[in-house]
Amino acid sequence: MLKAIWDNIKGLYSLLVGLSITGRYLVSPRKTIHYPRQVVDDEILASFRGPLELTRGRKEPGQTRCISCQMCVRACPGHCLTVIKGDAKAPSRWIYDFSLCCLCGACVEACPAGALAFSHKVYLVATSREELKLDLLADLKARTEKEAPPKNE
Amino acid sequence: MTGCFNFINPLAVTEEPGTTAGDFYTRNFEKKAVPGRIILNLGPQHPSTHGVLRILCEMDGEYIVRCEPVLGYLHRMHEKMGEVKTPWQFIPNMGRVDYLHPLAWTWAFVGACERLAGIEIPERAEYLRVISCELNRISSHLLWWGAFVMDLGGVTPILYAFEEREKINDILQIITGSRLTMSSFRFGGVCTDADERFKSLAKEFIPYLRERLKMYKGLVTDNIILRRRLEGIGPMDADICRRYGATGPILRAAGLARDTRKDFPYSVYHKFDFPVPAGPANDCFGRYLVRLSEIEASLMIVEQALASLPEGSHIMEKAPKANWKLPAGESYMAVEGARGQVAVHVVSDGGPKPYRVKLRAPGFSNLSLFAEAAAGTLLADAIAILGSLDLVIPEVDR
Repeated sequence: MLKAIWDNIKGLYSLLVGLSITGRYLVSPRKTIHYPRQVVDDEILASFRGPLELTRGRKEPGQTRCISCQMCVRACPGHCLTVIKGDAKAPSRWIYDFSLCCLCGACVEACPAGALAFSHKVYLVATSREELKLDLLADLKARTEKEAPPKNE
Repeated sequence: MTGCFNFINPLAVTEEPGTTAGDFYTRNFEKKAVPGRIILNLGPQHPSTHGVLRILCEMDGEYIVRCEPVLGYLHRMHEKMGEVKTPWQFIPNMGRVDYLHPLAWTWAFVGACERLAGIEIPERAEYLRVISCELNRISSHLLWWGAFVMDLGGVTPILYAFEEREKINDILQIITGSRLTMSSFRFGGVCTDADERFKSLAKEFIPYLRERLKMYKGLVTDNIILRRRLEGIGPMDADICRRYGATGPILRAAGLARDTRKDFPYSVYHKFDFPVPAGPANDCFGRYLVRLSEIEASLMIVEQALASLPEGSHIMEKAPKANWKLPAGESYMAVEGARGQVAVHVVSDGGPKPYRVKLRAPGFSNLSLFAEAAAGTLLADAIAILGSLDLVIPEVDR
């Protein structure tokens, strides 16, 4: 009888301990980030693997390093890459279907020219599958025009 | 004994062989409705079934007379996909088999292929594998902890668990590049080397989590409501675990200190000093305590591995590429996952693609216990038993 009463008192005390922990959380500052008003630090995003992008050429920043060798196309488990060879070695079209991509990195590691890299875009949004078919050559051109090209890479 | 497969044989109970008339209940339980009994379908979309598990229960009031898990709602043909992709292309699949502990699965597959090809990987890569796999195990157990308490009705702890989980994700993202379906192990090493930021974040995390575990104890473990709901519920002794092939925390809670990392040491686990917690009780609360002790054991491994991380390369020279062919033969690798023994059996005929890839999911064996353990319990206790098994349905169905 006494033991039962003592057990109940201990049980009630354990509830108070839990309530004090949640109470402390209630008055502590917010831990989450409210997206449109705040964004995650770039330091954390630097290692995030987002959709692929073409790296800049060593001599001309606006040109791709891609030599249209199709190694990435063969390595890809999801068949999400289409590289169409143009004049000489440079590709004329570079289509990347992000809806099929699993971000494994097979293409990046297979590329002998170092023409592919992961971007750190985390805010990519699309409303249809067609929009996820990204033209990477156009993306490279837009990036070069937007940013001042680095002089020595 | 009412085993899992005794029921699912339509030929054994249908009158005309070859026909599959009727539904699951009439084929496997009773021909007609029994007065006083009701049939309850738990799932496949019920939140407490952790994915798409369907459990068919025959209820007498609040008590379960018989129940049977119905699987296959999340079957994605991972084993078949292993036969139509090159070994390299199958690595990202392994991250998607079990989304809570993907690195154990990646390790099992990559390790099996490396054993077959006789590849020796650099020591630094082995250490990085151990560190990332153990951090991943901690994050898996943390999410289980939150989800288990949420099954029992306490919604708050999962939000606290996610605070630590996000920290682990930030750390693991540096060397794996992703936050959920990590598959960073490569044949011959790992894909990214650890930098100073990784080491400092991981070193800061260990004392932080030890402090938080004290808070967990005060908030949940000592809570009288949780203890009354778990203590003495769903006992599973060593005998039932052996019969169904259960591994992992369920087997350890039954008192058998069996751990693949100790019993069949792979990689560099023999260099670390860590305990294998074998629980004080074999009920739901015992399994809860075993998993919390495993978090502490994993922290010890991470601490020792970080202190003795050797210098060198993170991947061997001339590591196999996407068109790499496995030599003919077969190999097997078992890894201790968060839910039990994860194993991959690879058979190759020397062609560009493996001949057969067999995945041994611990969750499948652990789930088959459920029909026997939950018979005769209250429905609310069956939910507690189901939660204490730590099921990940994508892994069970593969």
